Amino acid sequence: MLQNTIARPAPLTHARVRELIGEPDQSAIDKVQDRIDPHIYRFIAHSPFLAIATAHADGTADSSPRGDYPGFVKVLDDQTLAIPDRIGNNRIDTFENLASDPRIGLLFLVPGHRETLRVNGRAYLTEDPNVLTRLEAEGKAPRLAIIVEVEEVFIHCGRAVLRSRLWDQDSTALAEHVPSIGEIVAAQYHREDVTAEAVDEGIESAYKNLY
Amino acid sequence: MNTDSELLIVDDMSPAAENICTVTLRSASQRRLPSWRPGAHIDLELPNWITRQYSLCGDPNDQHSYRIGVRLEELSRGGSEYIHRLLRPGTLLKVRGPRSTFPDRTPAGTVFIAGGIGITAVLAMFLRDHAQGLRPMLLYAGRSRAAMPFLDELPEDAEVVIAAKDEDQRLDFADLAARLPAGTAIAVCGPSRMVSAVEEAFPEEKFQVHAERFRAEPRAFVNTEFLTACARSGMEVTVGEHESLMGALARADRPLAAGCREGVCGSCEVRVLSGEPEHRDLIGAPPGKMYPCVSRSSSERLVLDL
Repeated sequence: MLQNTIARPAPLTHARVRELIGEPDQSAIDKVQDRIDPHIYRFIAHSPFLAIATAHADGTADSSPRGDYPGFVKVLDDQTLAIPDRIGNNRIDTFENLASDPRIGLLFLVPGHRETLRVNGRAYLTEDPNVLTRLEAEGKAPRLAIIVEVEEVFIHCGRAVLRSRLWDQDSTALAEHVPSIGEIVAAQYHREDVTAEAVDEGIESAYKNLY
Repeated sequence: MNTDSELLIVDDMSPAAENICTVTLRSASQRRLPSWRPGAHIDLELPNWITRQYSLCGDPNDQHSYRIGVRLEELSRGGSEYIHRLLRPGTLLKVRGPRSTFPDRTPAGTVFIAGGIGITAVLAMFLRDHAQGLRPMLLYAGRSRAAMPFLDELPEDAEVVIAAKDEDQRLDFADLAARLPAGTAIAVCGPSRMVSAVEEAFPEEKFQVHAERFRAEPRAFVNTEFLTACARSGMEVTVGEHESLMGALARADRPLAAGCREGVCGSCEVRVLSGEPEHRDLIGAPPGKMYPCVSRSSSERLVLDL
């Protein structure tokens, strides 16, 4: 068990946060728009990855990744997006949250691009066949899709990506120092029959079927 | 035949008709492009990793550029949407081919039949035959003249029949089949339904038919339950809305040879004895046949030769 060597940090009031950070530039406030313009459309059309943030009405929050062919999130019109639901582990945390609270926050990444795109709005699920057809990939249509009604759209500055050297080839060496999913799961189970190798092998073969 | 991929640059993009644009590609290094015969197509890999096939519809004597025609599909899965809305001149694209499934030469008096964007597959063959004095004929059907590309490229002295649906013009294949001499070559490219109608009107025993189907407009289907009967064994199976016909037959111990299970390979072909199959395959089932891996029934009962 990891021991914290300092006392549990105390929370700040929001007033103190503002005092420490300062006020945003007017440009940082003005950059928020309420629709997808042609440049934002082009960003989404080349993005193969995004993080989805949702919260449950009971107060619990969640963030989860989605990734696919670039442009897998379809821009249905300048205020509507469709995100396919591909096969996964069926935990459906995002869907459980959306059922109780429709608010959603999206963070799109484009490999090699420093800035990220943030889209906030409200979401619901659909099985509209026209939408599912458009979301087809590798010959398979998703079972359902998230429809996002866009309220806020803005580009987030590239400092986070620059500081993290996220797209540097050398950065991928970090993964060697992180345990495999097999090692992580085996340690959680404490069972002789659940070995890291077996879990990794199972996962590897499951990953062969992405659609 | 050329299977290597080559980097080509988008040289020009121009509107050719309603929702149809042409894209002209040339070598990024100004080199000569691999030569091609009319009827050939290329595989185009788009920046969004999607690969699509397009017929070459430009001048085969032009050794420095390729021209393709692309229709913006209403339910685009990312290919035609990318080309129409996102692709820009100057973009480098990976191209494989050209390859052809049409014969290298077509006999004198060949009848070319095109439906909509299917014109891109037969245009160069028709123009070549016309220039060589082979007296080809072109039947070209579309929704409306404004939606039919390349009308202005058809020579005035050629035998051309244009059928625009909004002007109540239809191609009468049966009438033509009755007038054409036996052995006439027919080359058709269009939506699956049209190609099937051509194959029915011009039977193989009498005509040399070469057909190319483009993937039908992506359609959305709603599954309903239906009953299928196997005529030879007398067995009846209800196909539920969440299973395929092939799956239901396998469940009832009547497994079929299965290949792709996506309506592409044709290995599961069965004969339909009665009922109305709802074809969902991408091959275009010949009359009286169906592919039960994806196709279902629009009648409540479907009788198969099993």
